[in-house]
Amino acid sequence: MTTHLTPAPRPAAPVAVALEAPDFGGSSFVGQVRVLTGRSLRAMVTDPGIVLFGLIQPVVILFVLTQVFSKMGMPPHFPEGVSYLDFVLPAVLVDNAAQSAMQSGVGLVEDLRNGVVARLRSLPVHPGALLVARSLVGLVRSAVQILVIMVLAMTVLGYSPNGGVAELALSAGLTLFLSFALGWAFIAAGAWLRRAEPLQNLALIVIFPLMFASSAYVPVADLPGWLAAVAQVNPLTYAIDATRALALDVPGLDHAIPALVIGGVISAAGVFAALAGFRRPL
Amino acid sequence: MSGLVMPPSTQSGAGAGSGPDSGPGGDQMIVAEGVSKSFGSVHALDSVSVSARRGTVLALLGHNGAGKTTLVNILTTSLPLSSGRARVAGYDVTREPFEIRRRIGLTGQFASVDTQLSGRDNLVLIARLLGAGRRAARSRADDLLELFELTTVADRRASGYSGGLRRRLDLAVSLVGGPRVIFLDEPTTGLDPSSRLKLWEIVEGLVQQGATVLLTTQYLEEADRLADSITVLSAGKVVASGTADELKATVGRRTVTLTLDGDDAPARAGAALRGAGFAPVGGEDGTRSLVVPIDTTREIADVIRTLDQASVEATELTFGEPTLDDVYLTLAEQHARTPA
Repeated sequence: MTTHLTPAPRPAAPVAVALEAPDFGGSSFVGQVRVLTGRSLRAMVTDPGIVLFGLIQPVVILFVLTQVFSKMGMPPHFPEGVSYLDFVLPAVLVDNAAQSAMQSGVGLVEDLRNGVVARLRSLPVHPGALLVARSLVGLVRSAVQILVIMVLAMTVLGYSPNGGVAELALSAGLTLFLSFALGWAFIAAGAWLRRAEPLQNLALIVIFPLMFASSAYVPVADLPGWLAAVAQVNPLTYAIDATRALALDVPGLDHAIPALVIGGVISAAGVFAALAGFRRPL
Repeated sequence: MSGLVMPPSTQSGAGAGSGPDSGPGGDQMIVAEGVSKSFGSVHALDSVSVSARRGTVLALLGHNGAGKTTLVNILTTSLPLSSGRARVAGYDVTREPFEIRRRIGLTGQFASVDTQLSGRDNLVLIARLLGAGRRAARSRADDLLELFELTTVADRRASGYSGGLRRRLDLAVSLVGGPRVIFLDEPTTGLDPSSRLKLWEIVEGLVQQGATVLLTTQYLEEADRLADSITVLSAGKVVASGTADELKATVGRRTVTLTLDGDDAPARAGAALRGAGFAPVGGEDGTRSLVVPIDTTREIADVIRTLDQASVEATELTFGEPTLDDVYLTLAEQHARTPA
C-alpha cells in the first residue's frame, strides 16, 4: 500500500483537478446509511450539547418527582418494597426515549432546511438512506442518555432496582425499541411538517399528557376513574409497565407483548409515512 | 466587450471520462424539449426547449419567478416534469435519474452544505457517498480544498464561513464526483466583485476542460462573459435565445460617438458622414458630439476616413456595443405588452 502514498504529480492547470475525479464506483444503500449515520454521530460528538440538552427534561422530572413525592405516603396500590425513585425511574427512561425520538424528527427537519437534503437529491443516494441514518443516530443518542440517567440515578440518588443485570439490560432494550418506534413516528412528522416548531408542539401536546395519563408516576389503580380509563388504553402504560416489570422484578411483564406489537405497528407506519412525506419536492 | 468566451474548438473529454461518461445521445449534453411544469393551476414552465452541446455554457436569463430554478430542478431530477422530455448527459430525467445524478454537479441558489461539519468533512462526506474509500475521499477533499483556496479554513465548521466561503465550498462539494455537466443556479448572487470574478474564472476553466455548464443568472454581465448561448425566460416561457451577439443584434445597434472641436466641425462632419452613407445623430444646436450607428466594427475605419477626408478632427472617439441590458429590457417590455 506504500505506493499509494506517493504524491501524484501536480497538474499543470489547477482547475483540471475539478474534473479529474477517480471513478468512485457508487455506494450501496447500506454504505450510504453508514456514511450518513457517521456524519450525524460526528456532529453529536463535536457538539455534545444536543445530547445533554435532551437530558434536561427527564432529569428535571426525575428530581422534582422524587423530591416531592418521596416525602408523601405511598398510594394504596403501590408495589411493596419499592421506593418511589425505583418506581419512577423506568418511566423517566421512557419519557427520555420519547424526547430523543422527537430529536430525530428535528434533525431531519434541519437537514431539510439547511440544504443537506437538497444536496443529497442531486447525488445518486437513495432517499431512504438519510431517514434510516436519522433513526439509527436516534438509537445511539437514546442509548447514551439511558446510560447517563441510570448511572446518575444509581450513584447520586440511590436507584437500586431488584432486577439483575440481564433484566436491566432487557428493560433498557425495550425502552430503546420504543424510542426507535417513536423515532420513526417523529421522522414521519418531520418529513411532512418540515418545520421544527410544530414538531416540538406535537411532542408537548401528545407526549407530555400521555405520560401523566399512564402508569408512569402513579399506579393506574390509584388514578381517578376517568384518568385510569385513559391510562388503561394508553400505549405508554404498556411500555412503562413492561420496562418496570423487568427492571424492578414486579408484576406487569404480561404487558411486554402488547408493547412490542404497538411499537412494531408504529415503526412500520412511521417508515411508510416518512418515505411518502420525504419524497415530496422541497 | 473583450470578455466573451469563445466556444472550445475541441470536444475532447479531457481524459478523465471513461466510456459511459460520454453517454448515449452524442454531443448534446443538455436537451429539454417542450418541458412544462405546473404547480396546481400555476404554470411554472410552459413548453420550454433548451439545449447545450458538450463543452459549452448555456445561460438561463430571467427575473425572479421566471422559471429558471424550476427548470434546473427538473434537469437535475429533483422535480418531476408535467409534460415534455428532457435528457442530461444522454439520459432521460424521468427514467434514468440515478444515471444523471452520477454525472452532474449542482450548485443551488442556497449553499447546500452541512454547516455542522467542517469544510473538509463536507467534501469527504460526499466522496464517501459516491463510493470513495476513506483515503481516496480525503485525497479528493484535499485537491478541491486547494483548488478553491479553502485550505486555511478546511477544519473550521462551515457554520462560521462567510457567504463567499460557503459558496466556494458549495461549488467544491458539487465537483467532488468530477461531473461532466454542471448546473449553477445563480452562483454569484450575493457575492462581492472579486469572489464573483474568481468564480467566473473557475467556470471558464471547467468549460475549457470539457465540462458543460448550465448557468442561471439575473446578471447580464455574467451571461455575456460566460455563455455561449443564452435563453431568456419570462413567466415560464422562452422569449428569446441565441448567442449574446445575436440577441444584441435583435435590439440595439453598435455606435461610434464622436466629440468634435471647432464651431463648424459638427456640422461639417455630419454632412460628410451623411455623404458617405451614414446616419449620424446630433451635432445641432451647438452640441459637439455626434452619434453614428454602424453595423460592423469595420465601419469604424470608414467613419475615421470620412472625417479625415473632410479635414475634421475628433478630440474623442468612443465605440459602443449594445448591452444585454438593452436586450433584456426590450424583451421584458415586449412580453409585458403582449400578455399570454
